[in-house]
Amino acid sequence: MKKKLVKKLLAGALAGAMALGMLAGCGGAGTDSKDQENSGEQNSPEENKDEESQGDTKEDGSGETDQAKGGAEGNGGAGGTIMWLSNLSSGIQYEAAKAYAESLCEAWGYKFQVVYGDSFNDPAGNLSVVQNAMTDDVVGIVASQDGGLQNIMEEYPELYVAGYNTDMNNVYGEGGSSAACATNEKFLGTIADGHIDGADLGKQMFDMVLEKGYKKVSTIVFPAYAYPNLTAGDASFRAAVEEYNKSAAEGDQIEVVGEAKVLEFAPLEDSYFLDSANQDLDCIVALCAGVQFVYPALKSAVDGGTCSADTKMITSGFEEDSAILADIGGDGIIQAVTVSPVENIGWSLTMLDKALKGELYSDYSASERFDSLEYVMDSPEDVTNVMEKALNGTKDPAMAQITAEELQGAASYADLKALFMSEQLTVEALAK
Amino acid sequence: MNGTTKNKNLAAYGGLLLCILVFSVVPPVFGQSIWTGAKLSTLMSDVIVTALMAVGAVFVYSLGNMDISIGGQVGVYATLMVLLGNKTGSLAAGIALSLAAAVLIGVINGATGEILKIHPIIPSLVFMMVLNGIRSIIYTKLGSRNVSLSSVDYSLLKQPWFMAVVLLGEVLVITFLFRYTRLGKNAKAIGANSVVAAQSGINLIQYKALAYVIMGLCVVLASVFQMGYTGSASDATGTGFEMNVMVALILGGMPLSGGMGAKVSCAIIGAFTYSLLDVGLPLIGVPNNMTFLVKAVIFILVVLITCRKRGGTLPR
Repeated sequence: MKKKLVKKLLAGALAGAMALGMLAGCGGAGTDSKDQENSGEQNSPEENKDEESQGDTKEDGSGETDQAKGGAEGNGGAGGTIMWLSNLSSGIQYEAAKAYAESLCEAWGYKFQVVYGDSFNDPAGNLSVVQNAMTDDVVGIVASQDGGLQNIMEEYPELYVAGYNTDMNNVYGEGGSSAACATNEKFLGTIADGHIDGADLGKQMFDMVLEKGYKKVSTIVFPAYAYPNLTAGDASFRAAVEEYNKSAAEGDQIEVVGEAKVLEFAPLEDSYFLDSANQDLDCIVALCAGVQFVYPALKSAVDGGTCSADTKMITSGFEEDSAILADIGGDGIIQAVTVSPVENIGWSLTMLDKALKGELYSDYSASERFDSLEYVMDSPEDVTNVMEKALNGTKDPAMAQITAEELQGAASYADLKALFMSEQLTVEALAK
Repeated sequence: MNGTTKNKNLAAYGGLLLCILVFSVVPPVFGQSIWTGAKLSTLMSDVIVTALMAVGAVFVYSLGNMDISIGGQVGVYATLMVLLGNKTGSLAAGIALSLAAAVLIGVINGATGEILKIHPIIPSLVFMMVLNGIRSIIYTKLGSRNVSLSSVDYSLLKQPWFMAVVLLGEVLVITFLFRYTRLGKNAKAIGANSVVAAQSGINLIQYKALAYVIMGLCVVLASVFQMGYTGSASDATGTGFEMNVMVALILGGMPLSGGMGAKVSCAIIGAFTYSLLDVGLPLIGVPNNMTFLVKAVIFILVVLITCRKRGGTLPR
């Protein structure tokens, strides 16, 4: 019996070791090993500050060959690993952002590591994820989740943190649980996913409804406790409609049906269209991620005849699904969809890189959050352009509208921000 | 102790030893080490909540039952502690209220299955839904997804040595109750054969309720550390914890059918094995999105080794 057990244990141990060995191999991507080879010893941010001048001399020489080589020598980069606390784990947006970030990190001499934040943005979940994945060579964090950010920064006070694709409401919002981060010099601010202020979002949606000429609309949001800006956006949208109706002729007035439908992070139910008020809508204004959460039920209702065949939707989100993409613009169900350019992660990485090298811009004084530009796709041509010419669609870093050189070339913080506010990151620019 | 049980114990420890061995040897190849103060501290933070819950759950699992309201309980208790802590400036009120709630839930969870002659998982399923509903209402009212302690010093709860002392204390108390008192002996007897246990004069309702109450008290203790990890609670706190407890106990060799094979050591071995995987896998370069797969492979390996086989089939 003992012999049998020993055999079992041995077999288990070997199988386990094999599995671990194989998967460990998966982790060591080609670029990573190349980076390791080239970057050599990892320095602390403080040490890197001391080597600032060395970095300057090499930065200018970072041509294509250097970029391909990567490593700290490429541009005098600080080296080490930059960890991305991601709010996504799959999908075209995630893949594009990861590919772009990897290419920038390779060019600047960093390794890039992704960890997946807690799906509920739970503070303990995020801290746990970061703690478990933390290794000695992590030098900075790109945070797309803000739950527990203060705990993370208290746990790793030496690490720089920059936000990406999040409004960091826990940091900048009233009574936010990570409010102390806002004044922490290691926290470098955040670039949001579209509008931070719900009022701007509501106004944007109203303009689209007005432009398309919809007369009967409904709104859908996520819960206010999780996304207060969407509720604010809904209020702003309704206020804009009310204001418009005051001066509009009777036939031109817009009706917003009922209260906003609140989705508890689950797709819209088919039963939404059993309500007669929702059966003849001109448009659903989905302030939440409507492509994922509203479109399936709406498409099913349109196809099944449970709502008007002319009901359209304007929303946000992006899916690499040819059927959905074909349904954007023209006669499609989705008449307009907004999505932030994934180049935005370049802002966070540039801030981290500059901070790690001790080269933070002289005009950078304190962390801030700011809106990002958005691709607004409302025609099949826009979709084609985004899918074929933009990083978002191609997932090819070579198609990025902002290059590594442009990021490094920004002479000031204002210049860097201006890059992300420039026409380069618009659908119109892609059409040229 | 017969040969099969001996082998099973040895194999259960084998899973943990294998993890310790692999994570001692392989990370240095990647320039990392699990034997650093920081990583051991992370390990302790990772294991403490699951271990505290799993040790208490040994009583319930020894009955052959399970409680799936654990996650909901942790969520509500942690939230109560934060909210009352901010109101009163102390965690005492929140802990006291949580203990009272845990006793009530434990009695109902443990007794109703027996009284109503329904599967014992059903009352816990009801509590899971009720507690999740309460949590949802609280956070909707608060208008926020999380709440943080603002006026209570919780730094002690983050100290690894304190976690170790509390865990050790709980293990000693639960081991004593489980091995040397009628509470544990009767729980195992009920799990082994409830009909025989009843005919032997064991009050099934009383001992089942007590088992759930003991687990509930341990869940409150775990909630204190869960809340103390970040000094906050959220609408997702506790989500999936019932599965963590189940996985830990199974990894530790706990028979799901309960009975005489149930041991407190199962909880400790399983919880540490699971947390070692959490902390160790990133150190050997396993990508974040692969860790679940690796854990699943190791889980099934350990289960295959530790589980008894009867007539060529996997155990109950």
